Amino acid sequence: MGTLLEVKGLSVSYRRGGVAVRAVDAVDLDVPAGAMLGLVGESGCGKSTLARALMGVLPGNASIDGGRVALDGEDLTELTPAKRRQRLWRELSFVPQTSMNALDPVYRLRDQMREVLCERGGLPTKAADERAVALFRSVGLDPVRLTDFPHQFSGGMRQRAAIAMALALNPKLVIADEPVTALDVIVQRQVLDTIRRLGRDLGLSAIIVTHDISVVTYLCGLTAVMYAGRIVEQGTTEALTRRPTHPYTMGLMNASPDLHEPVETLVPIEGAPPDLADPPKGCRFAPRCPLALAACRESDPPPVVVEPGHSAACFRAAEAGALREAARKASTWTR
Amino acid sequence: MAYFGRRFLHMLIVLWAIATILFLLFRLMPTDPSIAHLDPTFTEEQRQLVRAQFGLDRPLFEQYLIYMKNLAEGEFGLSFRQRQPVMGLVLAVLPNTLLLTSSALIVAYLFGALLGASLAWRRGSLFEKISVPLVLATRAAPEFWLGMIVLAIFAFGLNWFPSGGANVAGARYASEWERIFSLDYLRHLVLPVLTLAIYLQGLPALLMRSNMLEIMREEFVTMARMKGLSERRIMLRHAARNALLPLVTAFALGFGQSVGGNVVIENVFSWPGLGRLLVDAVANSDYPLAQGAFLVIAFVLVVMNFIADLMYGLLDPRVVHGEH
Amino acid sequence: MASIELPHIAAAARPRAPGLFARLARHLAKNPSALIGVSIYLVFVLVAALAGSIAPYDPIEILFTEDGQLAASLPPSAAHLLGTTNLGRDVFSQLVLGARPSLFVGLTAAVAVATIGSAVGLVAGYLGGWVDRALMRLADLVLGLPFLPFVIVLVALIGPSLQNIVLTVAILLWPNAARVIRSQVLTLSQRQFIEAARVTGAGEWRIMLVHIAPNIVPLAFLYGSIAVGWAILTQASLSFLGFGATDTISWGTMLQDAYASQALDREQFSWFVPPGICLVLVVLAGFLISRGYEELLFPKLGEG
Repeated sequence: MGTLLEVKGLSVSYRRGGVAVRAVDAVDLDVPAGAMLGLVGESGCGKSTLARALMGVLPGNASIDGGRVALDGEDLTELTPAKRRQRLWRELSFVPQTSMNALDPVYRLRDQMREVLCERGGLPTKAADERAVALFRSVGLDPVRLTDFPHQFSGGMRQRAAIAMALALNPKLVIADEPVTALDVIVQRQVLDTIRRLGRDLGLSAIIVTHDISVVTYLCGLTAVMYAGRIVEQGTTEALTRRPTHPYTMGLMNASPDLHEPVETLVPIEGAPPDLADPPKGCRFAPRCPLALAACRESDPPPVVVEPGHSAACFRAAEAGALREAARKASTWTR
Repeated sequence: MAYFGRRFLHMLIVLWAIATILFLLFRLMPTDPSIAHLDPTFTEEQRQLVRAQFGLDRPLFEQYLIYMKNLAEGEFGLSFRQRQPVMGLVLAVLPNTLLLTSSALIVAYLFGALLGASLAWRRGSLFEKISVPLVLATRAAPEFWLGMIVLAIFAFGLNWFPSGGANVAGARYASEWERIFSLDYLRHLVLPVLTLAIYLQGLPALLMRSNMLEIMREEFVTMARMKGLSERRIMLRHAARNALLPLVTAFALGFGQSVGGNVVIENVFSWPGLGRLLVDAVANSDYPLAQGAFLVIAFVLVVMNFIADLMYGLLDPRVVHGEH
Repeated sequence: MASIELPHIAAAARPRAPGLFARLARHLAKNPSALIGVSIYLVFVLVAALAGSIAPYDPIEILFTEDGQLAASLPPSAAHLLGTTNLGRDVFSQLVLGARPSLFVGLTAAVAVATIGSAVGLVAGYLGGWVDRALMRLADLVLGLPFLPFVIVLVALIGPSLQNIVLTVAILLWPNAARVIRSQVLTLSQRQFIEAARVTGAGEWRIMLVHIAPNIVPLAFLYGSIAVGWAILTQASLSFLGFGATDTISWGTMLQDAYASQALDREQFSWFVPPGICLVLVVLAGFLISRGYEELLFPKLGEG
């Protein structure tokens, strides 16, 4: 399988009261065609910003400082705004976190579907309506509801509608930002099942942004862990869950209930992520890391390949086995 | 439907309260309203006769009941001065006021909505930086002064339009409709409408601008961008369409307020409307006529407030289709 | 003498003043429109205060030229900066003295609206129950009255003086302030320090006056500043319609005079344009200040 999306050295910063805050710092990321990649991290780690930067739609006070985002070999950051706009939704679509406001409250779903299918997909109205019916069915919604307004939908239905809309033009890649976070647990599971089924049936390529590692293990073959604006570890989900190499990943696993291998106690990582306006020297996780060495606070650890397709940015990657032993003990994390 | 009923009842209560306030105002004033009307040379007997004629010799509460009963029947009494039924005098000028108000509001809201939308679209530009204080200044300007400037330029200076009235003196028309749709009437209408529109456009413009700016921060606008829709489409179909909702309510509210606020404009342009009637009646101490004109102005205001409530429901799908 | 007393006053004021004034000054510097508003006000207050010395003539004096002719409808000149009226009165002098009634009406109405609004808002919000319901119904009703027609009728009945105009404006404008202050009081009474005061046995009136009232002063000020423009415009409109105080020269009466004396027809722009511009400036200044003040009270996040 070839690489569909290749991100190299992507950096994004916000201006906040005259200070530039780098929310995404030199991120490298690859998504092969037909794969689902889970992008996981605590809130505020920059994962949503990264997702929006991939779409090229950022708030007014944010800007891309550098790096490339290549889709099928074509660097999107080099395109003119007009050309880039042409790529959007046809090649790259988005499922937002808050589907409540993601749908325009004054239009019926059918009209919002038509807007995408006719304006962007070039379909005539009749064909668009047929396609909308098919899309609604595929995400498990009754096509009758196409004539409803967004506020008449439940949260789960809105999320399904948002997924249907993202699939409307058969994009090469779908980026979903916390697609199930706003939903209650049962609905979460149903929507996750739908996404999993679509992924299998359509051979969907997707990036699933989430803070919940169980969502990743359920849906994604690949995982990237983000901390304080950087990718600290990435590889297959299996490798990461069985052989986490970065202490932050180990901490995350301890802090989330695992469906396959239940740990005895859930241990949270103490402390809070660093202020990105003034990041610490060295490894950004070092101040919270119980396994950190003096060197970790001095210089930035570069990513190290620990096995084919699995890399981690940690000086102690070679001793990962011993670290995992230590990390499994709750006492390691409480100081 | 229950909502409609509740609002309707509320409207009736407000109308009743306003009528009562007005009754008390006119009856409890230290000076006897009939004195102003009476010739000082009248004998005591003649004076009593006039008082009896207007029911002023009865106890206050009885007067109030008679007043309310008359109002309910649309009977506003006789004008002190003109010796004609107040209702007829008021109804004769009402179309002029309604026409002036509605034309001005339509012009003002069309222009204001467009201006506000483009101000929001081009936020931060020089155009916006200059326009916003300018719009504020039109809101700060006294209406009658705007009218005077407009008159000095277009009526006296350029001589394009007549300086006052609604029809050329002595003109005769077969029907009211023919009068209102005559070219002459429209020519008289232009300047008052222009003045009123200049004054009124500020509210929709500023409202539209701030609504748009707020809505442009909404997620669905970001989503529209991600969908690769054109900026024009995003601004018009999504941002402006959503920002328009509160404007429709403001239009209805503005209509009610403007019928009362027109008092000044109607006097500058000698426009024979309700406001001018009210001012003349008050100036001449013609209390029945003043009361009648005031009540009709208040009636229009209260009814328009009621309609504004209903319109908001009609236009916002969130209100119509359940889920308040 | 003043120079001797000054240090003493400054020293006494120092402990509290710098924080507030520094904050206000910093806010003004960041908010150019509010700064412009404040400057316009200062200029007009100065003009009103010194009107007697600035005005070259008595505004109602009928002037004659040197050859004994009535100085009627003269164009602007060095002697008459804005020309004269058709009855030979100096327009500039009228303009300068006209600042007084406008500022008087605007500022007293602001105080009246803020006072009534705070009192009603406090009582309604703090006492709640039927008092609250009755007061808020009354507020609804007053807001439902047609503004200018009601002012006209009321002023005609109680007599056209500046005080009465202020009174009627206050009667009609208090509900906006009262509503907002009431909801602020409701929020405040839920706060912990009020609970604490109650637990320590403070009386209800004491809580209301000592703990809640000071916290609504900023809001009262905001609604007062909004009332300034309304009151000035109302006074001008009433004067124009002939219901103003007949014994005072104001910008409104000047415009009425110009209108009635066919100044429009004679295109005496120097007579009827300046009073209007002064009205626009004063009212606009009020808008700018209240807008800037609103931003100070309710800072919005992000860019606007």
